[in-house]
Amino acid sequence: MDFEYLKQKRILLVDDEQDLLEMVISILKEDRFQNIKTAKCVKDALIIAEDFRPELGILDVMLPDGNGFSLMEQLKSKSDYPILFLTARGEDEDKFKGFGLGADDYIVKPFLPKELIYRITAILRRSYKDENPLVKLQNSEIDFDRAEVVKNGEYIALTAKEYDLLSVLYRNAGRIVTIDALCEAAWGENPFGYENSLMAHIRRIREKIEANPSQPVSLITVKGLGYKLIVEGK
Amino acid sequence: MKSMPKLIRRFIGILMLSSILIIILNFVVLAIIASNQAPNGSPWITATEAAESLQKCNNTYVFNNEMNTKLNKQNVWAIFIDNSTHQVVWHTDNLPDSIPTKYSISDIASLTRGYIDGYPTFTGESESGIMVLGYPKDSYWKHMWPSWDYQVIAHLPQTVLAILACNVTLIFFIYMIANAKLLKSVNPIANGIQNLSTERPVYIKEKGVLSELATSINRTSDILQTQSRQLQKRETARANWIAGVSHDIRTPLSMIMGYAGQLENDSHLTYEERKKATVILKQSEKMRNLINDLNLASKLEYNMQPVNIKKENAVAIVRQVVVDFINTDIDSKYPIEWTTDENLSSCIINVDRDLLKRAVYNLIQNCINHNKSGCAIYVCVRVENEKCVICVEDNGVGASDAQIQKLNNTPHYMVCDGNTTEQMHGLGLLIVKQIVASHHGETVIEHSSYDGFSVKIILPM
Repeated sequence: MDFEYLKQKRILLVDDEQDLLEMVISILKEDRFQNIKTAKCVKDALIIAEDFRPELGILDVMLPDGNGFSLMEQLKSKSDYPILFLTARGEDEDKFKGFGLGADDYIVKPFLPKELIYRITAILRRSYKDENPLVKLQNSEIDFDRAEVVKNGEYIALTAKEYDLLSVLYRNAGRIVTIDALCEAAWGENPFGYENSLMAHIRRIREKIEANPSQPVSLITVKGLGYKLIVEGK
Repeated sequence: MKSMPKLIRRFIGILMLSSILIIILNFVVLAIIASNQAPNGSPWITATEAAESLQKCNNTYVFNNEMNTKLNKQNVWAIFIDNSTHQVVWHTDNLPDSIPTKYSISDIASLTRGYIDGYPTFTGESESGIMVLGYPKDSYWKHMWPSWDYQVIAHLPQTVLAILACNVTLIFFIYMIANAKLLKSVNPIANGIQNLSTERPVYIKEKGVLSELATSINRTSDILQTQSRQLQKRETARANWIAGVSHDIRTPLSMIMGYAGQLENDSHLTYEERKKATVILKQSEKMRNLINDLNLASKLEYNMQPVNIKKENAVAIVRQVVVDFINTDIDSKYPIEWTTDENLSSCIINVDRDLLKRAVYNLIQNCINHNKSGCAIYVCVRVENEKCVICVEDNGVGASDAQIQKLNNTPHYMVCDGNTTEQMHGLGLLIVKQIVASHHGETVIEHSSYDGFSVKIILPM
């Protein structure tokens, strides 16, 4: 799949540790991200953000002249874009949950380079998906913008539930999504007893996207666990 | 305070019993005294004997010598009144002058009942007359009107019982009133002592009969509170220290992992060099896991980890962990098989979602850590005896009986107060045990039916 447009996104990186900044830049550059600017404190970050107009913020929680949470609020008040936190404190996980601060994701240090790239790509894809409307599958294409599937030149509309399910599967393309996570995406929290409905919806999605719905190649069942969407080029 | 009424009941029981015993004892003593009086001889019997001892021979009266002596000894005089003449026909030598020698029938009735000139008199009959004994003045008190209403005698047993009952009730009330004050002051002290064992702070008003006891209980409570505060402080300090160290290690370790990760994939390096980077990366990951484990284990141990218990679907939680592993296991060296019954779509338990996830994660990671050459992992959720059983097994190298015994029973070095020279198992299982314990569950380590190692988490539903 073509994610090159994501590599052009402007990323603002804020951390007080020079070594860490350099390392993250090198990881990002290696993955062909181009537009990266760094700041070492809240003050610098706000000044840089004025001109740079970032499309993704990667912030440390503890900064010499403030904390990342308040910086996020200030950045978001100017312009709304996704924020990823890098934190050295495991307990911050609780904080994010407790306060619902509006961060898009967080990574607890230390992290693996591929983990960082995966999370950044996932956030960007989620936030800027409308710029890449067509998702290529082996036998069809999904147009999330119009909630349609294009198969053999034919346009097939997706229902709301099918759209929700496919969105979750696409966000986790190539990875298994559990039955429970899919039910939650379609029917809200604490979904019990929707397994059969889910199977029915999956069957209908397959009829729309697969060449042969009884032998699926794009939407794979992982027995007892969940489903996996195979996207071309991924 | 449950034992107080019991105590009071016991006291009253003893009191009642002793009252009854005392009454019985009194009766016995009375009976003994009365029976001691009997051989002393009722003067009536003596009078009858005296009457029999007087014989009439040829118009003279002969009195038995023995009886005479006996009467003399007691300073008793005697007269014999003839039936027909009402004259005194015989008398002892010691007869006082004031005693008349002739008696009318009414005189006889009166002397039988009472006295002659202040001398208590007793009568004994014979064929020809009546023997009258006169005892010294003030030696006997005679009951002059010896008659009772029949009903009084007929109801005597009931009357006695009723009086006894009244007495017992009276004693009971006297006791209650006298002791109410004492009981009142004992109650808060008893409550205080009971509360001491619950580690709650205790304060009792220091007044009343038992104020000294109250003071020492208050002081004991203060000491206990101070000690538990100090202990808490020390444990908090220890957990904070571990949290601080692990925090400070995270940023440098990020750098090591970041660059090692890049070097691992650097196509400009030789295969050997990239392999070295992989080793650095793997070991750094181990350190990262160790830091995370150490932090969580210390927090769980010192009750500093918040446990947010909610109703959750255990099947969904375990399924998510399994899927996370499958999604990251690229070379499928550790295939995970989901062996949960397909019909079991939910198993609702009260649990902290993140902690349970962590426990299952640790169990699967354990299988991976201990089977370097790969193994199949079997994960299953089932309901057994109204309990939720989460089972993680593998077909790997397994463990010996002795090792399993040790894993089940030996405390971890982190929570063990003995010496720790012996190398014990890692933190992974300790955390599982801690998490399960915080949910009032049970951890069972055993051989797997797949020839490897098996850990069961049993949680109440």
